[in-house]
Amino acid sequence: MEKLLEVKDLTVSFDTYGGKVQAVRGVNFDLYKGETLAIVGESGSGKSVTTKALMGLIPSPPGNIEKGEILFDGKNLAKLSEKEMTKIRGKDISMIFQDPMTSLNPTMKIGNQIMEGLIKHQRMNRTDAKKRAIELLELVGIPNAQERIKQYPHQFSGGMRQRVVIAISLACNPKILIADEPTTALDVTIQAQILDLMKDLQKKTEASIIFITHDLGVVANVADRVAVMYAGKIVEIGTVDDIFYNPKHPYTWGLLGSMPTLDNTEEELVAIPGSPPDLINPPKGDAFAPRNPYALKIDLEQEPPMFKVSDTHYAATWLLHEHAPDVEPPESVKRRMKGFAKTGTAPGVDEKKGDES
Amino acid sequence: MARYITQRIIYMIITLFLIATATFFLMKLLPGTPFNMEDKLTEAQKAALYEQYGLNDPLPVQYANYIFGLVQGDMGISFQFDNRKVEDLIMDRIGPSAQLGFQSLVFGTVIGLILGLISAIKRNTAYDYSSNLMAILGKSIPSFVFAGLLQYYLAVKFGWFPVSFWDSFKHTILPTIANAMFTLAVTQRFLRTEMLEVLGSDYIVLARAKGLKNSVVTFKHGLRNALIPVITIMGPLVVSMMTGSLVIEKIFAIPGIGEQFVRSIQMNDYAMIMGTTMFFSILFVVVILIVDLLYVVVDPRIRLTGGKE
Ligand SMILES: Nc1ncnc2c1ncn2[C@@H]1O[C@H](COP(=O)(O)OP(=O)(O)OP(=O)(O)O)[C@@H](O)[C@H]1O
Ligand SMILES: [Mg+2]
Repeated sequence: MEKLLEVKDLTVSFDTYGGKVQAVRGVNFDLYKGETLAIVGESGSGKSVTTKALMGLIPSPPGNIEKGEILFDGKNLAKLSEKEMTKIRGKDISMIFQDPMTSLNPTMKIGNQIMEGLIKHQRMNRTDAKKRAIELLELVGIPNAQERIKQYPHQFSGGMRQRVVIAISLACNPKILIADEPTTALDVTIQAQILDLMKDLQKKTEASIIFITHDLGVVANVADRVAVMYAGKIVEIGTVDDIFYNPKHPYTWGLLGSMPTLDNTEEELVAIPGSPPDLINPPKGDAFAPRNPYALKIDLEQEPPMFKVSDTHYAATWLLHEHAPDVEPPESVKRRMKGFAKTGTAPGVDEKKGDES
Repeated sequence: MARYITQRIIYMIITLFLIATATFFLMKLLPGTPFNMEDKLTEAQKAALYEQYGLNDPLPVQYANYIFGLVQGDMGISFQFDNRKVEDLIMDRIGPSAQLGFQSLVFGTVIGLILGLISAIKRNTAYDYSSNLMAILGKSIPSFVFAGLLQYYLAVKFGWFPVSFWDSFKHTILPTIANAMFTLAVTQRFLRTEMLEVLGSDYIVLARAKGLKNSVVTFKHGLRNALIPVITIMGPLVVSMMTGSLVIEKIFAIPGIGEQFVRSIQMNDYAMIMGTTMFFSILFVVVILIVDLLYVVVDPRIRLTGGKE
């Protein structure tokens, strides 16, 4: 598969009153053409910051990209000027945000908000841009688009607004679409519809999607590959099968153990004990060690490198070292893994479809 | 919309009636009596004047007469200026007051908005700090102190401006600045806060994510939304500017309504006090109505609900 984006050793920090927050600490990943890469992890693990860095949207001050490369289309996006970035944003890479209630300009007509990007990047005149805006609204499933483009955001429901945001993001046929928890703020039935829409549109446009979510059920539903983030680092990355059926990192086990599945609803969910580390003074060694029941002595001393599990699957845990003891995932997680294998997908997002009103 | 406006106008009339009533009785509580400045008058002459102006009638009768006159647009006769009608006296004086009010409003809001915008865009820089300092001074120093300072330094000491009176445009500059400082300060603070909030909102990030230029994001998406709530403070600001001008006119000896009003209070010119109060009150309620209607026009979110009311 063709590599579209290559992120190398991305390091982002924020200057705050309390000190320097090391939000992203050396992230590496590739994005292939046409795939969906999910990024999962607890709140504060650096998912949003990582993707904002790709778009040059880290507010500075207080934010800084300290190190690293973001290679796209022969350019290093981490080094581009603001002016050069404006040519890429919205055109090659675009973004969908979490809260559709706040991500549209309340005093601008929907049509104009879609047309702006078209006029800027594709040098369309207003008539053509308007035509295209109507097409886009129809594409994302908004009926009566002709009339709807003259309306303001408050005249749309949450799900409808997210469709509008998707239309905006797709306007210039981007190569990469970043979706930062696009369904978290929506209720379950609407969530399912938006996910279906995104899958459908991806087939049509062949865009690569980076999909940020807390919800492993959504991951199983939409993603090809998964990156698990913890405390500003990717601790495990692999295909959906790798992560769900053969997880190697204890943090990934913890995530899977805390996730409900269809067939073992009566089983109790296990929360990961403790809380994420302070990113102003990240601990020495493996940041997950204090919460990790399988931590080895070396975890407190030295950060684990990425160990290769297979060509597609890597994990940063000393448990994969040749001298490490053999540790199996906990029974509950193993049962759960079998559960995924049996039902195909994790929680039944697909089962909960309904009508949006 | 039409229903909303009718409703508002009815409320306005009730408000004005209450103000008229309250002022009428409060004014009667003022110490002193009319005509007591005119030492030359004998007791008999004073008694005749009292009779002529109906001041010997019982209070309820005086009140009824006044309200009856007011409804017909008659504000009565001034005691101090030989039998001239109050409304004529106000009209004579309206020019300088209106000019002062208009100039200070424009100066105060325009400079306040510019400073607020600079503060928000360049936050936590020297620009922001100096703009904030100016606003804090403008807000905390009373306008009469400010007027005195301007008068002393810029007029008396350096002689750049005339000390007082209302003649050329140059005469209007110091009073305008003194009168505008509070408005300037409030507008600066308000726009800075609004703008920072707007610039931190999701739709601004989305606008940037579309690849729009920074200037387009700041002005088209940011400033527009930050300006709408500024309209809400315009009503109170106009009010404070009108009351502020009472003192400013006195200090700079400007022949306006305010200066006349202050003198009327000193002289217990009841008809003049009532008339001026009612004139200002009418102006206030009209300004507030206009501001509210403007808000409905500018903010699309209110248009629908406003129409249903
Ligand atoms: N503007 C900022 N100033 C200071 N710190 C920031 C800023 N933006 C993010 N951070 C910090 O960076 C870290 C990572 O934040 P990020 O938003 O990427 O988390 P996330 O994984 O997206 O979490 P969530 O799931 O809650 O969205 C957090 O510790 C956060 O406090
Ligand atoms: Mg986030």
